[in-house]
Amino acid sequence: MSTVTLIHGLNLAAIYGLMAIGISILWSSVGMINMAHGATFAASGYAAWQVSLIAQPLIAAWLGTGLDASIAMGATMIASGLGAGAIFGGLIFLLAYLPIHEKANFAVRSLIVTLAINLATVQLLLYFFGPRQRALPKIFGLGRTEILGIPIRNDQLGTIVATALLMLVVVIWLKRSRKGLEITAMMQNPEGAVLSGISVRWTALPVTMLTGALAGLAAILLSQTVFVSPTAGALPLIKGLTIALLGGLGSIPGAIMGAILIGFLEAIVGSISFLGQRYVLFSQFLFIITVLIIRPRGLGGLLDQTRESRNA
Amino acid sequence: MPEMKKLYEIGNRPREIFLSPDGETPTRRSRVPFTRRHWLKWRSRYNPKSLKLEKRLEDKKPLWWMLSLGLLLLVTPFLGNSALTVASIFCMFAAINVLWTLIIGTAGIFSLATLAVVGVSGYAAAAFNVYLGVPWPFMFVIGCLTGLVAGGVLALPSTRLDGLYFALLTLGIVEICRVFVQQLKSLGATNGSINQVDSFIPSDWFLQREGLLLGFFGAFALLLGALLLFKLVNSERLGMLLQTARDEEAFAEAIGIDYRRARLMVFMISSAGLGIIGAFYAMYYRSISPSIFSLDQLLLLFAMIVIGGIGRADGAVLGTAIVVLIDKGLLDLGPVRILIVAAIMLLVTLLTNNGLVGAREQFRNYRNRKKSEARARRTEKGGEVMPEEATDMPDKQEIFYRRFNKRLRDELKLLITPELIEEHRRKPLGRHSDALSRVLNYFRRSEMPDKYAILRQPENFNHYKIVALSGERGAPPRLVDDRLYESIDEAYHAVFLLRVNDLLES
Repeated sequence: MSTVTLIHGLNLAAIYGLMAIGISILWSSVGMINMAHGATFAASGYAAWQVSLIAQPLIAAWLGTGLDASIAMGATMIASGLGAGAIFGGLIFLLAYLPIHEKANFAVRSLIVTLAINLATVQLLLYFFGPRQRALPKIFGLGRTEILGIPIRNDQLGTIVATALLMLVVVIWLKRSRKGLEITAMMQNPEGAVLSGISVRWTALPVTMLTGALAGLAAILLSQTVFVSPTAGALPLIKGLTIALLGGLGSIPGAIMGAILIGFLEAIVGSISFLGQRYVLFSQFLFIITVLIIRPRGLGGLLDQTRESRNA
Repeated sequence: MPEMKKLYEIGNRPREIFLSPDGETPTRRSRVPFTRRHWLKWRSRYNPKSLKLEKRLEDKKPLWWMLSLGLLLLVTPFLGNSALTVASIFCMFAAINVLWTLIIGTAGIFSLATLAVVGVSGYAAAAFNVYLGVPWPFMFVIGCLTGLVAGGVLALPSTRLDGLYFALLTLGIVEICRVFVQQLKSLGATNGSINQVDSFIPSDWFLQREGLLLGFFGAFALLLGALLLFKLVNSERLGMLLQTARDEEAFAEAIGIDYRRARLMVFMISSAGLGIIGAFYAMYYRSISPSIFSLDQLLLLFAMIVIGGIGRADGAVLGTAIVVLIDKGLLDLGPVRILIVAAIMLLVTLLTNNGLVGAREQFRNYRNRKKSEARARRTEKGGEVMPEEATDMPDKQEIFYRRFNKRLRDELKLLITPELIEEHRRKPLGRHSDALSRVLNYFRRSEMPDKYAILRQPENFNHYKIVALSGERGAPPRLVDDRLYESIDEAYHAVFLLRVNDLLES
């Protein structure tokens, strides 16, 4: 395997991981499959694009075009992506969680509601922004950096580093902070968490916002290589869902491992000349289906105890 | 025999359908050929008021089906070309959704790969026709067989994965189909679609009035077939087995129902049906394109069954009608129409328990609940038995006793006046006025627990205290208060006042 493939694989794994972890955390703590994750992705991409239109001249006027300016721009983009994702997550909480979380058959209902949100968001984006694709400013610059003698494209390096940092922050936050511990408690044992005085509602809000922010970040990072468009969320959503499924819904280590496996599979299949890009998706899904038939609870079952499906 | 009085038209009776048969001749109901089912669910009974024999139609749904489908069949041929196309698309999608309802509702397999099965079979049938020259009538057979195979492949993981896991997996399978078809090298020139498919519509009629009419009748026949299949599977043996197993799988297994096999059977049968629809789809459009595998199309179809209500054929058809009318009928609105569909979907899911067809039942339950709440608020309780607790009482005599008691107390409360109390104070024993003796009689008859008694103090002959009896053997009476009464008459009157107080408070 060449180093280029390796880096490419890591890059893809980082983005898929962000999507899959969001879906996984939301399922295990709230019991909701978020089909509007793709809509969050697209909406955050557009929000960041809108912000970049406003911020670019401002930053250029203030800091010129030096390194400071590009760092400021990058920070603005990431912040706007995270912020827009979190706000969208809050919206999902208001529409798909708060009104129905006590009714029967919540899992299917929330799935339907989030599907409707997804449908509506894509159409709204189409309505306001049109089907044209938009390019986000390159926040990591265009050149290559040499690390240990390996030349890496800046955007790939940036994506990998930013994702790794953010995941570290999320994991530490989940393990250390009070709210994070509450979320972890809900993931492990929802009834027990409720009995020990953790409010289900007010724990669900930060969870939806956090997962929304993760999708927003994924949108900013993926938009370094592809464009922002209203339907851009569909493929990341499906990949995120299937990777979360592969990792065993609800398990964070499983989702990370699934993302790495799928990312590398994509990079490797894409680099083999006689298979090429056209068989990437095919090979990925074949792999996922095979794993799921052998292990219905996904990879997470190997790593830790995943939560029983609430639907059962 | 006296002429029957006109019944007041209250309650549901005006909306029911009644026949008044002759009591002498036995009723005869014709059966559906080769089965033991009847066409309509007539039930005979004697009207409890007039004691006349009458036949009531228990299930009016067949009439509604006949009415709506008949109207569709009669009116559509006189509509314009675009409305004719909308009606044909409605019939096709309704057929798909009815079979999908069979999978999700009857079999309980949450599959989202329905359109994928339709698409795969459509592609197979079209490919056989275009590349191998198979004549069009055999396309149905090929579609059916492909559907069966696709159903079998899909059913494989469904035995291992449960519920939503399987749903997500099928979402991935749809995506695979789309990508696979788009990247087939042999279809590269046409962007993944197969064109010039032979059809039951002659090629010089295609997109003409005659062709559209023929297409509509074909689609209508397809819908009828799908409904028939739904009826055959859902309310015959397979459906019954699954209905038994719906809530308690372990119990069903224990009494010998192989519900997994039944589920797979239903899944395969519906997949075969979907395959036929796929072949029809390819023939109707004379081409088939990868857009049938797109996520948006799938979501739209899902919106249809969600809006109508999952698990019922009428829900599937109703939801399809609503969404197709908005999506295909209001083309001028542009992207807004998908927003309308999404908004309806959102509202229906947030507000109803099971789609629009369940709304009536839900509203009735809601109204009944509100009614009983209002009734509970209206009735002052006062010891009378509420209808809710009456069902739990084994001794129904108790209900009437308590009702009598309540009325008696209401009556006695009116008799209590300052003069009456004054009369008792002056002369606790002896002859009393009519009102006072009624009140005292009631007090004397009261139950033993908490009955008041007068206790002479052992240390002093003329000192009395008031106690309340426990009503239980062995349990001593309790002291009501510490007041000491100097004479027995004073104590009598104190007990009287306590009881009057209790009576007025009850």
